[in-house]
Amino acid sequence: MLPKRRTVVWLAGIIVAVNGFFPALWILFTSLKTETELMGYPITYLPQTPTLANYVQAFTEQPLLRFLWNSFVVASLSTLLCVLVSALAAYALTRLRVPKSNLIMAALMAVAMFPLISLMVPLFKMMRELGLLNTYLALILPYAVLSMPVCTLVLASFFQDIEPDLEAAAMIDGCSRLGALFRVVVPLSAPGVFTAAILAFVNAWDEFLLALTMMNRLNMRTLPVGITLYQGEFAFPWPLISAALIVAIVPISILIAVFQERVVGGLTAGGVKG
Amino acid sequence: MLSITKPRRRSLSERGLGFLLLTPAALLLLLIVVYPIGQLVWNSFFDIHLAEPWKGEPFTGLENYRRAFDDDRFWSSVLHTAIYTIVTVPGALLVGLGLALLANMPFRRKWPVRLGLLLPWALPLVFSGLIFRWFFEYKQGIVNDVLARLGIEPLAWLTDPTLAIAAICIAIIWKASSFMALMLLAGLQTIPRELYEAAEVDGATPWQKFISITLPMLRPAIMVALIFRTITAIQTFDIPYAMTGGGPGDSTETLAMYIQKTTLDFLDFGYGSALATLMFVISMIVTSGYLRYTRRSAGRREH
Repeated sequence: MLPKRRTVVWLAGIIVAVNGFFPALWILFTSLKTETELMGYPITYLPQTPTLANYVQAFTEQPLLRFLWNSFVVASLSTLLCVLVSALAAYALTRLRVPKSNLIMAALMAVAMFPLISLMVPLFKMMRELGLLNTYLALILPYAVLSMPVCTLVLASFFQDIEPDLEAAAMIDGCSRLGALFRVVVPLSAPGVFTAAILAFVNAWDEFLLALTMMNRLNMRTLPVGITLYQGEFAFPWPLISAALIVAIVPISILIAVFQERVVGGLTAGGVKG
Repeated sequence: MLSITKPRRRSLSERGLGFLLLTPAALLLLLIVVYPIGQLVWNSFFDIHLAEPWKGEPFTGLENYRRAFDDDRFWSSVLHTAIYTIVTVPGALLVGLGLALLANMPFRRKWPVRLGLLLPWALPLVFSGLIFRWFFEYKQGIVNDVLARLGIEPLAWLTDPTLAIAAICIAIIWKASSFMALMLLAGLQTIPRELYEAAEVDGATPWQKFISITLPMLRPAIMVALIFRTITAIQTFDIPYAMTGGGPGDSTETLAMYIQKTTLDFLDFGYGSALATLMFVISMIVTSGYLRYTRRSAGRREH
């Protein structure tokens, strides 16, 4: 009976892992194939003559490094802004007994449900009139706001778990309220701050619609939009696109692989408690 | 400082500080959400062509909305969005529930399974769209290759309107089910083990345990996951954009894609604003249902 149970567990694990990893793995195989191998019929599964030529071409055909840099700048700065603003808001809502804090939180969650496309239309006109199209700011501000509800929620649930006495002690020692926030509460909720930051970063890194709208100059494109530029008018150069995809997937995969427990915790705090 | 001596009292300065700390968030929301939404509704009553500024922006009242009513492309984009929603919401729930049940088994090493659920979530939607486009490619795609091995003729997945919708649904379900599974998994892990042990003592079969313990206990998590999925499904954009670009013709185009094309490609800003306002209203109706549900369940938890 016991060995059979182990087999079932193994099988379950394999199904979940294959479902998650197979698409990325298939793209990795594709990226290592030559154009001729790819055009052959029937198709091959494993690359017969692995080559890195597609990766070299991916970097020369489009400014892939520049796309990476743009995504990195936009994602990190919007994360920074988002976590800062959300931390202040979450602190006010959980520890300062702001009246109607539940209602404020509910309103914030409603904002998270606003369809992005409805925001994109007026934001495009606004940014155009302000001359902010093709600047990082045009994405940093909206991205910070888009992740604000979930970050506030995650941070609020962490702030709630900190003993009020610790803060009081810090204030007796001469800290101001704000000083207590940044010297006691924030360090103690570092895991929460971190979780919120990762969620905000991944959201910004993945966003497509606004990035497509606000940045139309090639050297301002972010990764998700940049990747779609490899396709020609008639041809779809799959080995090239696959190589570019792998370059784009690796950083974010490493990030979530290293911090996976935190990410899962943050995601489910946002979902289940919300 | 007052709060040190009387920590329980709600001093005015504490409340003032609270509002002060909420100010940056409020300002950002005003600038990026509230003001633009106001602008959106306002613009929807005007005829605005961004490419022809010399024509001015004449007030046309409800003309844009009337135009939407007669616009076949609008209705077909609504129909496609409805199809994606009706298929992928239960689809992603079923697949997600299956993945969550599998992932809830007692593994010795948890990370491969956890990462297997996280990776599809972390992947940008466009990337998933591109990858599935590659899967469904007519000649070199792996789907048709597998079908050929099973002795089935290759299918024109991305060029046949019906099959293209099916392919897009499959891609959306793959992408969405992992996040669903993560939420349901968190729900599964809150179910007390004693319930199952008690049922086993009574001689319950695995199926009976699933029906009478797992499903009822999972109900709140399922509801939240379903509503989240519905709200995202209504906004579907990236995956069809990457897989078919809305084609062939506009047979896979969603409402969000049509709005994007109207405003950015045709630069018909007034009409685009009207369509985006309609989208906003639809979403808010769904969201208000969501808020009503969570508030009700939160009330239940307190009792």
